[in-house]
Amino acid sequence: MARRREAMQRLASRAVQIGFLLALSALWYAATNFWGVNHLLLPNPAAVFHELVEVLRTGQFLPDLRVTATEFVAALALATTSGMLVGFFVSRSRYWIAVFEPLFAGLYSIPIILLLPLYVLFFGLGPASKIALGTTISFFPIVLSTIAGFGNVERTLVTAARSMGASDYQLFRYVLVPAALPVILTGLRMGFTVALLSILGSETIASLAGLGHHIVQLAEDMEMARMFAYIAFVVAITVLLNGLVSHLEARGRRRG
Amino acid sequence: MSTGEIAIRIKNVGHQFGEAGEARHVRALTDTSLDVVRGELLCLIGPSGCGKSTLLNVIGGLLAPTGGTVEVAGKPVRGPMPGDIAYVFQESALFPWNTVDENIRLGMRFQGVPKSEHAGRAEKSLEAVGLAEFADHYPGQLSGGMRQRAALARALALQTGILLMDEPFGALDEQTRMILGEDLSVLLARTEKTIVFVTHSLGEAVFLADRVAVFSARPGTVKKLIRVDEPHPRNPAFVTSEKFTALRNELYDLLHDEIRAAVASEAPRRRRGANGGAP
Amino acid sequence: MTSIRSSGVATTARPRAGEDPVLSSPLDSRLRGNERIKAARTFLLRHPGIVRLGAVVVILLVWEIAARFFMDPMFISPPSRVFASLGRVLHTAGVPDALQLTFFELAVGFAIAVAIGLPLGLAIGLQPFARRSLMPIVLLVYGMPKITILPLFILFFGIGPESKIAFGVAHGVFPIIITIVAGVQNLKPILLVSARSMGASRWQMLRWVIFPHMIPSFFAGMRLGMSGVLLGVLLAELYVSTAGIGYFTTMFTENFQPTKLFGLIAMLAAMAIALNEMVRRAEHRFNRWR
Repeated sequence: MARRREAMQRLASRAVQIGFLLALSALWYAATNFWGVNHLLLPNPAAVFHELVEVLRTGQFLPDLRVTATEFVAALALATTSGMLVGFFVSRSRYWIAVFEPLFAGLYSIPIILLLPLYVLFFGLGPASKIALGTTISFFPIVLSTIAGFGNVERTLVTAARSMGASDYQLFRYVLVPAALPVILTGLRMGFTVALLSILGSETIASLAGLGHHIVQLAEDMEMARMFAYIAFVVAITVLLNGLVSHLEARGRRRG
Repeated sequence: MSTGEIAIRIKNVGHQFGEAGEARHVRALTDTSLDVVRGELLCLIGPSGCGKSTLLNVIGGLLAPTGGTVEVAGKPVRGPMPGDIAYVFQESALFPWNTVDENIRLGMRFQGVPKSEHAGRAEKSLEAVGLAEFADHYPGQLSGGMRQRAALARALALQTGILLMDEPFGALDEQTRMILGEDLSVLLARTEKTIVFVTHSLGEAVFLADRVAVFSARPGTVKKLIRVDEPHPRNPAFVTSEKFTALRNELYDLLHDEIRAAVASEAPRRRRGANGGAP
Repeated sequence: MTSIRSSGVATTARPRAGEDPVLSSPLDSRLRGNERIKAARTFLLRHPGIVRLGAVVVILLVWEIAARFFMDPMFISPPSRVFASLGRVLHTAGVPDALQLTFFELAVGFAIAVAIGLPLGLAIGLQPFARRSLMPIVLLVYGMPKITILPLFILFFGIGPESKIAFGVAHGVFPIIITIVAGVQNLKPILLVSARSMGASRWQMLRWVIFPHMIPSFFAGMRLGMSGVLLGVLLAELYVSTAGIGYFTTMFTENFQPTKLFGLIAMLAAMAIALNEMVRRAEHRFNRWR
């Protein structure tokens, strides 16, 4: 029956997804074991798995993870605070929105990654330059979405709350924030993604520590299997984080 | 309409969405038979969810019924029949990226009208609905009423014998609705079209229709047919006449119980839908 | 846009220049002066662009003063000097070639990203089953920080332009697919139904309904794809390069030549803005009906 048909369809799309991953793994396995692809280009999946277990067991990833995580959290916290504060104050007046919104949007269209050499020049090769870059890049989606969120709250909602005698704080807490939340969440999610990208990116390009740096180091030492293991580790972490953020976003949206 | 020739023959049509036992299963329409006479305007009226729009889509060939048959001009309906049937929908179905004129020409292109006739027909139909000056406007630049006029012009340009209108004025305010109704009545008097018109509004039904088919609550079927004997074009004064009021009251009495019944059956259904719909 | 201020709610906001009650109450003795202020204020209120420009000028001025008098010239250069040296940067041996190379990588990468992303996006978007099964994979790969596999790109494609192009494609193709899929999805079903009722064939629906509907998201996808490709190319160039802009930014940094570094970055930023603006203009032309 139809409910069964729906379930079947869902199963079929899962099957396609799993089949895709299986095919990819099979291709990888065949390439390294039968077709003689150079192991310096593409290591054997079994070797990669072995390395991954080794890395996880010894916990040798911890120092690099700590550096990357610290940079990431610091950058995101700075960008969120500054972006939401600036965004909120700009959104208080249609005029200030007209002045600043295009400015932020224009700056956002520049590939800010170009500032990396500058930041390295100012802040050195340590975490400071990464935090600075991550903050700069994720500031823009957050400030733009905050302006859009608070700037487009429906006026009837505000009028209705006022007519019932809401105070400034009550208006902010019970009307403005819930009304603006879905849009702001989108910006925060965007900020999360670009912050992660720019932290790992700047670690890869110019750094002394962190997961991105470690992967590059392994590449230079031609430790391919271990490098693949680290890549898999980082990808797994980001996939998990992304899932967590999606979940939080969906929850916040339902409440907002 | 006095010729008595049957334009649309509806025989024992029933339709259900989904299958029995499924959460989304709805029996929308059951065992409905109805003949639409050539040249008449038939209004379908009834509580929401009674299957009047479903019936319209079945006639238009947009929906294959789960039971029964529909014949248009003697042929069974198996899919859209653009040569015989034109549609006006409730919400604006104009293509927003085309001007009014382009919309009308696109309809003719879909229908397969030779290009040489496009300009003439478009101009004529725009004049008929009073939009000649707005040919080069985009739908987004027009008011709701003008958009529905444009949609009507697009349908008229197809020069079909049958026009199906699915609450075409449903989204408009009362005043605009009245004016469009009057204009439609004038337009109808001039053409020989057979029209099936779905509406929620009692006044609109009485004002426009030659016959009104009153539907029962879900699963819907025709409960009663009411004849409105008043020649087209109808005068605005008709609205204040005793005949109008009497017919309107008759419709109200017929519909009142059905609407109550529909609302009563609707409430638990919604609640269940909310539970079942959670991901 | 509905501003909250207009409903008299923004009590938390600072008083704005235009609405200061002291300024707006007429003082008879200085009526004429007041009127001039009023006129200026009205003018500024009507032209937020000028205030925006003013804000940019103020920032540049602060930067100029700070760089001239308070900061180490090894690290920062005042904007006036950067501007004056733009010509010199362009004449530095190799810089014009580097700009050309980066631009070439961007163009080729963009073309490939569109050639892959557009048909793939259409195929996934128009086919509900494909959308349900493949979209999660696309989103997953899109959300992955591809920078972690940049060393692999270098290994496979070498340190020449090929690896930059490939990495650019990897960044540009997914935003294109995603916007195209989203664009196909939000088509109002009634438009397809009405086209069908008028006898449109499958091809006609594609050509006259789906295609025109796609144009805005097509351009949005192009814009996002373009900045994605640019990001990928620049990342790869910054990572390892013997030519191209990435090479020169690194070199200017290492040689403590902030004037040239700033100049190069300014030129690139201008290029990015110009490209973005070009696509936006084209987009605007096709969206007259909006």
